[in-house]
Amino acid sequence: MAYSDKVVDHYNNPRNVGTLDKSLQEVGTGLVGAPECGDVMRLQIKVNPETQVIEEAKFKTFGCGSAIASSSLATEWIQGRTVEDALAIKNTDIVKELSLPPVKIHCSVLAEDAIRAAIGDWKKKNGVAETAPAATAEAK
Amino acid sequence: MLKVVNSAIPVACWSCSVKQDEAKLFCPSCSKIQPPPGADYYAVFGLEPKLNLDVAELETEFHRLSRKLHPDRFARASEHEKDWSLADTALLNDAYRALKDPIKRTEYLLQLSGAQIGEQNSGKDRRDPSRAPADLLEEVFDLNMQLEEMRMARASGESDPNLEKSLSEAKAKFEGLLNEVDTDLRTQWTAWDSGEESAQAAAQKSMIALLDRRRYLRNLVRDVTEVLGD
Repeated sequence: MAYSDKVVDHYNNPRNVGTLDKSLQEVGTGLVGAPECGDVMRLQIKVNPETQVIEEAKFKTFGCGSAIASSSLATEWIQGRTVEDALAIKNTDIVKELSLPPVKIHCSVLAEDAIRAAIGDWKKKNGVAETAPAATAEAK
Repeated sequence: MLKVVNSAIPVACWSCSVKQDEAKLFCPSCSKIQPPPGADYYAVFGLEPKLNLDVAELETEFHRLSRKLHPDRFARASEHEKDWSLADTALLNDAYRALKDPIKRTEYLLQLSGAQIGEQNSGKDRRDPSRAPADLLEEVFDLNMQLEEMRMARASGESDPNLEKSLSEAKAKFEGLLNEVDTDLRTQWTAWDSGEESAQAAAQKSMIALLDRRRYLRNLVRDVTEVLGD
């Protein structure tokens, strides 16, 4: 199975690899994993407390090319968005953008989960109420 | 990999024509060798499909049947019987390999009962949070960080005794968890073997989750072992 050009590009030049200080109030951390393949993904966001805009996103993923590309793309997409806008990103958007084959769809699911986990962590830290969970419906 | 077909179809012996309810390696009436029965691996050994199994007994039976099926014993038999002795031996070997190993046996019986395990899993099951070893994520992530560091250090010819020590400790810890999983699996075996329907359903669910966790832990231990080079 060949990776799409976009996956290869993200894999070779991953955007926003790194770490944010998770003890900071404005930083949210999401750590997710897939038991079958052993992938682990950490995605962190730094949110502007006034505007709720994600000013910085960093990730570190141990996994296959598609998992790395999915999380790399996710950080690219959420930077500059408000947290509510970022929550609108669906795994299917990632699948489309990266032309992921069916066996790699779970990588995109992992990336979506990571975004949600990071935002959830930030909300918890900052006492922001969770929005209605309607947006978390299955979209595969 | 599974060769499970129509095990319950009555067959007649090619030699003495006596009908049998279940295909066997040898005809119970005239003792002539039979074509490979399309039976499940348990039936090859005449065993009940149970997870608790006496491996020593299985081995004895395997050796006994291997001798009886050995192609040398069919040197003067018909061409059919010669072919069957080879095919039956192959089936017997497959069955023995699948049943003697506790993990393979568990996977095999779960598959026989229609469960989808491991890589066959797809779709909605993946999002079932009970399948993800969430309790381990933090440690798994840290372990991966250390592995990466260690690989980089190795590549540049450096050694870092502290890192090595910490990886060895992690390896021991994950091996311990692996043992715990095996103990838990054995507990579920007994629940499964009780044959009681609701207990079996619950045990099946637990075993699938335990096998996932086991696979995950085993991969981690393998990665650490590889990097430590011992």
